[in-house]
Amino acid sequence: MAAAPSLSEQYSLPKDEKPVESKPAEEAVVETTTEVVSEKTEEAPAAAVEESNEAPAPAVESSEAPVVESSESPVVESSEAPVDDAQTSNEDAAPAAEESSEAPEQEESGSEEAEEIKLETAPADFRFPTTNQTRHCFTRYIEYHRCTAAKGEDAPECDKFAKFYRSLCPGEWIDRWNEQRENGTFPGPL
Amino acid sequence: MKIQMIVREWLFFTIAPCDAAEPWQLGFQDAATPMMQGIIDLHHDIFFFLILILVFVSWILVRALWHFHYKKNPIPQRIVHGTTIEIIRTIFPSIILMFIAIPSFALLYSMDEVVVDPAITIKAIGHQWYRTYEYSDYNSSDEQSLTFDSYMIPEDDPELGQSRLLEVDNRVVVPAKTHIRIIVTSADVLHSWAVPSSGVKCDAVPGRLNQTSILVQREGVYYGQCSEICGTNHAFMPIVVEAVSRKDYGSRVSNQLIPQTGEA
Ligand SMILES: [Cu+2]
Repeated sequence: MAAAPSLSEQYSLPKDEKPVESKPAEEAVVETTTEVVSEKTEEAPAAAVEESNEAPAPAVESSEAPVVESSESPVVESSEAPVDDAQTSNEDAAPAAEESSEAPEQEESGSEEAEEIKLETAPADFRFPTTNQTRHCFTRYIEYHRCTAAKGEDAPECDKFAKFYRSLCPGEWIDRWNEQRENGTFPGPL
Repeated sequence: MKIQMIVREWLFFTIAPCDAAEPWQLGFQDAATPMMQGIIDLHHDIFFFLILILVFVSWILVRALWHFHYKKNPIPQRIVHGTTIEIIRTIFPSIILMFIAIPSFALLYSMDEVVVDPAITIKAIGHQWYRTYEYSDYNSSDEQSLTFDSYMIPEDDPELGQSRLLEVDNRVVVPAKTHIRIIVTSADVLHSWAVPSSGVKCDAVPGRLNQTSILVQREGVYYGQCSEICGTNHAFMPIVVEAVSRKDYGSRVSNQLIPQTGEA
């Protein structure tokens, strides 16, 4: 009789269907212009650091910080990102926030092409490691509107923030916040 | 009449899910996620110590009753102090507690931790007394959203094979073998999103987003109920999760998405 499989064997997924497909970075490259591509290459070392560490820990961030734009990134890495960001200019806030939480997985694209829809969503964010994700949603919403304020209404690099906050926030909340922004009563730092 | 009964019985045994509660059930429902498997294993681990202690304590109790029976031995020994036994009965239970605590905390923190990036996010919003589910990963504007309400099938309505008070009109369809983030919240009062076979019980709090992640290991239909008293119809807002293969999930979602967005 063959040995019974261990728990980990029993529950491990087959190699070809790896469960993680969040590749916001890759998508951004596809959709955007050359300006963004050059920005991506600047980010590449940072992304490599993150890839080598499966679970993003504060230690990763400290090693990553000098690689990306030196002055802003520590601000974003702190847990009060949206509040602190208000002090830096809008233009800086967007790219710094952009790199903060991606874990690009470039090697995955092959198996997903067959499906009609891409399975991808907002990645796990080390700024919000707990069960309570309320601020995660709120922060992504603010990040998107900061991004559009800095780069223009239809800036393609802001699209992923839109995807993230739409994934995380209940539609009702988004509607309410949109209304509040129109009325100028939005409670967050925009 | 007889044949109808047999057919009904046969249908019942084949259709009836193993992932819902059954009459007079004592144990757990079958695990569908590693999390539930961990919970079941922890339960068995702890039960080992539980039986051990139960046997030991009842042995002492019965022995004491037997040997110090009021007719046989009316004057018991009057020991008030014993250093050795006091040390033993302090150290030994704490060792047992440690053996229980270590796997328990290991499980607790591994359930808490979100290690990998999820592939889809589903929002489960509790209402009095139904649930709304939002699949917003595929939205391209704030308005387009794959959103639907999930109501219980009324008690006089279920079809053959459907579970009474458990079946809903719109199930949550999720892909199997995929990391799923479930954002649980409420629009009115406290609710709780709980599916026993996936080992999830997550409170739905208005104004707050609670995250829980599941990895459904096998395709199937999983049943759960609201687990936070929320009003008159608390018992009538069940949860049904249908895990399908990834391909089926893709076609289901795109089928529901395309008519809504108007894109082909
Ligand atoms: Cu409820």
